[in-house]
Amino acid sequence: MANARAATAAAVRPALLAAAALALAWAVVAIIAVDPEADPPTSYAAALPAARVADIAAGLGLILAGALAAAQPRSRRVGLLAMLAGSAWFGADLEGWQDGPSLLRSLGAAASPFTLALVLHFTLALPRGRLRSAAARTTTVAAYGIAAVVTLARALFRDPLLDLYCWRNCRDNSFLVDADPGIASALDDIWVWSALAIGLVLVGFGAHRLLTASGPGRRVLLPLVTPAVLVGATEAVYAVALLRTRLESPDAAGFAAIFLAQALSLALLAIGLAWTVVRVPRTGARVARLASDLGEAPPPGTLREALAAALGDPGVDVLYPRRGSHQLIDADGRPAELPARARAVARIARGERTLALVLHDPVLLDEPELERALGSAAKLSVENEALRAEALAQLHELSASRTRIVEAGDSARRGLERNLHDGAQQRLLALSYDLRLARAGAVADRDDELVAVLDTAADETATALDELRELAYGIYPAVLTEAGLAAALATLADGAPLPVELGHVTRVRQPPSVETTAYVTVAEAIGDAARRGASFAAVRVAREGGRLVIAVDDDGAPRSSRLLHVADRVGALAGTLHVGDTDLRAEMPCE
Amino acid sequence: MLTREGVVRLLADAGIEVVAQAEDAEGLLRQVRVTQPDAAVVDIRMPPSHTDEGLVATQQIRAEHPAIGVLLLSQYVEPSYAMRLLEEHPEGVGYLLKQRVFDGAVLVDALRRIADGETVVDPTIVARLVGRRRREDPLAELTEREREVLGLLAEGLSNRAIASRLYVTERTVEAHVKQIFLKLGLDVNPGSHRRVLAVLACLRGERLDEV
Repeated sequence: MANARAATAAAVRPALLAAAALALAWAVVAIIAVDPEADPPTSYAAALPAARVADIAAGLGLILAGALAAAQPRSRRVGLLAMLAGSAWFGADLEGWQDGPSLLRSLGAAASPFTLALVLHFTLALPRGRLRSAAARTTTVAAYGIAAVVTLARALFRDPLLDLYCWRNCRDNSFLVDADPGIASALDDIWVWSALAIGLVLVGFGAHRLLTASGPGRRVLLPLVTPAVLVGATEAVYAVALLRTRLESPDAAGFAAIFLAQALSLALLAIGLAWTVVRVPRTGARVARLASDLGEAPPPGTLREALAAALGDPGVDVLYPRRGSHQLIDADGRPAELPARARAVARIARGERTLALVLHDPVLLDEPELERALGSAAKLSVENEALRAEALAQLHELSASRTRIVEAGDSARRGLERNLHDGAQQRLLALSYDLRLARAGAVADRDDELVAVLDTAADETATALDELRELAYGIYPAVLTEAGLAAALATLADGAPLPVELGHVTRVRQPPSVETTAYVTVAEAIGDAARRGASFAAVRVAREGGRLVIAVDDDGAPRSSRLLHVADRVGALAGTLHVGDTDLRAEMPCE
Repeated sequence: MLTREGVVRLLADAGIEVVAQAEDAEGLLRQVRVTQPDAAVVDIRMPPSHTDEGLVATQQIRAEHPAIGVLLLSQYVEPSYAMRLLEEHPEGVGYLLKQRVFDGAVLVDALRRIADGETVVDPTIVARLVGRRRREDPLAELTEREREVLGLLAEGLSNRAIASRLYVTERTVEAHVKQIFLKLGLDVNPGSHRRVLAVLACLRGERLDEV
């Protein structure tokens, strides 16, 4: 890949040099063409020294800044557009070269209208020189199309000699086929209205880009789009001035001011382009420094922050593909997805395998540059981060699975309790009712023997009901779901084998799995306290900043059991259990 | 379902008119509004969620129709529910274990007491609360007889009913009750309807205003 890039660069460089030399030659001729002594002046540059300086600054500036930009692969396209715009800008000066060759005057007149279309193309194609949207492509093609049609038609039908308002080149037209002042005047009208439209599109589009760009994107676009908007605005003002009077003259203060403003706007555009080209490699240097930083084993999990700082783009994100799947995760192992758009994605790979995807602002860097800058040392860091993210993702899955297991168990217990309640207990109730009926009949029949048997049966049924009730309650205390932890713990304390002092117990309802786990924790702690011969157990349950804290203290013999099954349950809800000799403290998130 | 049919037959056998039956809380409230019975027998678990609809419906009946007593039936011994019931409406309500009402005499007695504006608390609940383990047991101060009176009082019996149960005079019971309240440090009027709730709360080691 590097070889291919070098080969491309080798092929491109002479062509670029030739283009730059050609543009410079054209510029030099245009600068020489301006004759300050001419009266009346045949170009704005000839009318005023200030206009001449601004004229040269605009055209030469665009060509030089464009050449500078074109030397960088990243900004080659916009650089070429700027060089072309600068050359087209000088067209007006060549058109007014009275002593020059007729062909150059005609070529200058043909080139001049393309300045505006090129600036529009340049602006719409920022920052990479590619037109991303269909609207941008249509607008650009339309601008070029209008400029081309008007230029071609003028070349064919406009004889300057017959033009009432002519002031630049009133002598000849090398391409003339059929002089038709009517068509020429209509073409002038079309062009003025078109220039007004293109100027306004440039203003509108530029303002929209600036307003909708993200922070770092706006920083990059600002020095380029702002002057472009000014160019569009001055062009629109120029068109309006022409609509008011066709009598254009560089001696008129209004027209001169408009020219000066537009030339300065273009000069600003050139400065902005040069500044941008010089500035971006500095980001590359920061990435290179980052690469050396990363070589010195940065703290794990900090790659995103390091990249964001180096790139000056706080929105930078680093995502890692999971092993053997297309699922993406972030540095913390949480599932993530590529944003739909508006972010550029740089892929960092080792061989065929993608190690990481760096999501950054599209204006910041090209993908291969970031990849190259991260370097092999950085790849090791990225690999560590990716491994860590993978491990964290597995940890998240594991704890989610633990939680699901606990919840499934609770749900099964609730179902079992419901079944006992609605099934076996109801049947026993029906049986005890039937036994009472039978007993009433036996009493009526004075069958004492049968009455005695039925009494025994009724007692047995009552005992069975009592036992079944205890069993069902033990499987799952219905009151926990119905009335919450406070009520359930109060009932637990009512039947506890030792005195239980309920301190503060929150009455705020918690998620079901949290309430059940809290209940089980307290129940187990009370049972454990009783087994260790405690004379009491004190229970507190409080919410502390998004966590449910359960504390059970007693005065029994020191614990030998670590209450591992309680620890498992609490752990499954991402909580912690501390078990001391006679104290126990469980904490779990409850939000 | 089985319980409802059984209760209906028991009541019919005891000569008590059953004016309406309902399948769920909504139907229950509608029937109560239409028929205006002396008392309603309500299962704590009813459709749709089979949790505590009966408790909620009971409180609603008591709030809307103060003259209508409600007997709440449950399969579990849940002191919290009994207390929640008594908290808002300390009279004309009862809370009994389902299996107990198949003794027709118990059911009829409970309904008559409730219709008379008394309270009924299941003896199992009272037994559990009396038997609760305590670090400092205020009940230790009580005599055997006073404990007996305390239990019956907690079940919601009136002084007269306690007197007839223990074969003593009503004045003797009054004296016992006064003594019990003194020893337990209860500042509720021993003759008030709140006394059952106060005793239950005291047995649970809770203060009444916190209940």
